[in-house]
Amino acid sequence: MSSDYEFSDNEGEYYDSDEMMDDYQNDEDEEMEGDKYNNHNHNNNNMNDDDYDYTNDDDFRIPTKSKSKSYQVEYTSLTQSLVEKSMKEEVDHVSGIFGVEPSTATLLLRHLGWNKERLIDKYMENPTQILVDSGCQVPETIPSPSSSHSVDDKSSSSSRRATRSSSKLLLLSSSITSPSRSSSAQKKISSTSDSSMTFTCPICYDDSPSLIALSLTCAHSACSGCWTAYAISKIRDEGEHCIRCMTEGCAVVAPDEFIHRVLRDDDDGKDLEGRFEELVVRGFVASNPKLKFCPYPGCTNTVSCPSAASKSVLSMLVPIVSCGARGIPSSSQNPTSTSLSTATNTSSAHTKEHIFCFGCPIESDHRPVICAVARLWMKKCEDDSETANWIKSNTKECSQCQSTIEKNGGCNHMTCKKCRYEFCWVCMGPWSEHGTAWYSCNRYDEKGGVEARDAQSRSRASLERYLHYYNRWANHEQSTKLSLDLYAKTEKKMTDMQITSSLTWIEVQFMKKAVEALEKCRETLKWTYAMGYYLGRGNEKELFEDNQRDLERAVEDLAELLEGGGVEMEKEKENVGGLRQRITDKTVYVQKRNEIMLEDTAIGFQDGRWKWNVGVDGFEEPIEDFGGVV
Amino acid sequence: MSGICRVRLAEERKQWRKDHPFGFYAKPAKSADGSMNLLEWEVGIPGKTGTPWEGGLFKLTMIFPEDYPSKPPKCKFTPPLFHPNVYPSGTVCLSILDEEKSWKPAITIRQILLGIQDLLDDPNVLDPAQSDAYTMFKNDKVAYEKKIKIQARDNISR
Repeated sequence: MSSDYEFSDNEGEYYDSDEMMDDYQNDEDEEMEGDKYNNHNHNNNNMNDDDYDYTNDDDFRIPTKSKSKSYQVEYTSLTQSLVEKSMKEEVDHVSGIFGVEPSTATLLLRHLGWNKERLIDKYMENPTQILVDSGCQVPETIPSPSSSHSVDDKSSSSSRRATRSSSKLLLLSSSITSPSRSSSAQKKISSTSDSSMTFTCPICYDDSPSLIALSLTCAHSACSGCWTAYAISKIRDEGEHCIRCMTEGCAVVAPDEFIHRVLRDDDDGKDLEGRFEELVVRGFVASNPKLKFCPYPGCTNTVSCPSAASKSVLSMLVPIVSCGARGIPSSSQNPTSTSLSTATNTSSAHTKEHIFCFGCPIESDHRPVICAVARLWMKKCEDDSETANWIKSNTKECSQCQSTIEKNGGCNHMTCKKCRYEFCWVCMGPWSEHGTAWYSCNRYDEKGGVEARDAQSRSRASLERYLHYYNRWANHEQSTKLSLDLYAKTEKKMTDMQITSSLTWIEVQFMKKAVEALEKCRETLKWTYAMGYYLGRGNEKELFEDNQRDLERAVEDLAELLEGGGVEMEKEKENVGGLRQRITDKTVYVQKRNEIMLEDTAIGFQDGRWKWNVGVDGFEEPIEDFGGVV
Repeated sequence: MSGICRVRLAEERKQWRKDHPFGFYAKPAKSADGSMNLLEWEVGIPGKTGTPWEGGLFKLTMIFPEDYPSKPPKCKFTPPLFHPNVYPSGTVCLSILDEEKSWKPAITIRQILLGIQDLLDDPNVLDPAQSDAYTMFKNDKVAYEKKIKIQARDNISR
């Protein structure tokens, strides 16, 4: 994971670290199986662990990326089961404080977006209110169940209207949250109502005696089939994990065990149990600013990055993280098997690490430039505002009829096609005043059109400036995209080399390393142009551009060596060793330059050294710059 | 799932025939071959007495999805109605008809139709669906009522 910038020729080391991760992954699988379902027997040994501090617990931690460079952030990647574990700790904590069942604590926490402090305050203030609001319990004024079968339920719900303390107790003992998981939340209607009365499901109107009636604390019964269909539709179509009672106006929420219970009745439903858990985890992750869900499709990992949790630090650092997975897993259900293991698989396609920015939606490494500026740049490139800029700099308006005119050749004596007005393209003055001496348009620096001309030249300069940066940015982006091809080509070259020379598989890995380094550095280079565009002029910018130039040179040198390497090889087959040495040297150098670039900009952000030519949140007013035209 | 859908609709039909609110009608549409299509109902909603809607009987098509009652039916006035919460297509915008808002599988056709009848004279200005009726309702109540009365007269039940 962290070896990318520390290029080393020692291949053994590289793979050792992967093995280590695999071992770790196995441990965690065992752990997950162990405590997936026995929520109720868990010891609350982390009762006083108030914050989401995952790093404290060494048992479930993927090796943390140690903060060694100032352009790197400290973060931890968590698999879904690890996030579930921390959710459970929160739930157990709350459940211990309030003396409520874990399932109730879960609903309470979800209702308040996992904000435990707020929940404790609210609960202390008025437990009944918060229990009702979160859908754990029916309100005081119960909408009486419409069907006639609920004789027993009425008495139980009326007793729930008792005083504060007893309502808490009752909730503990109420059937809905009883600890044995299969029977929880499930009521066979035959036991709760007259045996003479048959149950008719109010949803599907089925009244066969084999029907199993289920209800939540509100006692609004429906048959298990309808519950299953409803839960499936909510989870699959709406991606909703908060599933409420099916009765109109009833806000009681189904606890997780209940959902699992009804999903297990159906083959489609069984497949959705995993999806349901994922939705729950996503909800938890979304409510916690220290966590972010991996945006890669099908990936269920989460990254914890407490140092980038607040928006204000985003002007000081670029929180690029990786969820630890590589490639795009084919089945979303099993993230652990696909993560990390593919790195050792040589024959597999070029799988990319799931790298993304913790602070903004950009799904790539946009270092060195900070999120706000990267966004500005992306927006500028998307906007067609540049079209307007182009028109502004390439055309002029006829000073008589205001039609837009593009000069596509010829002399400065213009005749408007529309109104036949004759004028000078240089000074925009009427041609009649020029006489025959139009070559030395002597009116150029005089009065009238001066202002308009200034505006026009500013606009043209700004466009040229933008295009300068954009072309380089786009060029590197294009090259990065082409790196897939280069990768395939390189792979072939590597095979050839093994055949034509005495080099072993391990010994030709330098090619792969070089391509990877190249891709990474191009990514950096690409974003330096976005940064360069917005940097205010001054010594700092010149230093920045020096670094940029050095990196660019190194990158292009290496690229040439790689692309042209094959031809060269043909010529000097016996000299593969020399080529290997040169490529390795260049790779190390390019990585060195990349590191200097990243390190220097990162320190610059920490020191507040960078000044922009546009307004950026968290920075001083922009420096006056001719390029500040947006 | 479709099992639930058709059984439920057949039962709704039975309940409706047994008893339904005064002035309303609701029946499954006939397909081209004359068979009954339970997934599409033709209904009529009368305007409430004492409101500008009085006297009108407004035709509406209910289209039930295969996963009804997990999902709500789509209710569409045919022809489209001049009303702030009716889309230009005729579709009704009402929270109980939105699966992400207040739709619940236990809501019956009877409840839906009564809900739409309530909506007629009690539009929800926070959720406008067409600009014509919305702007007139906001800016010129007199003209709005006049227009509603004309609309009711044009939709007299036969």
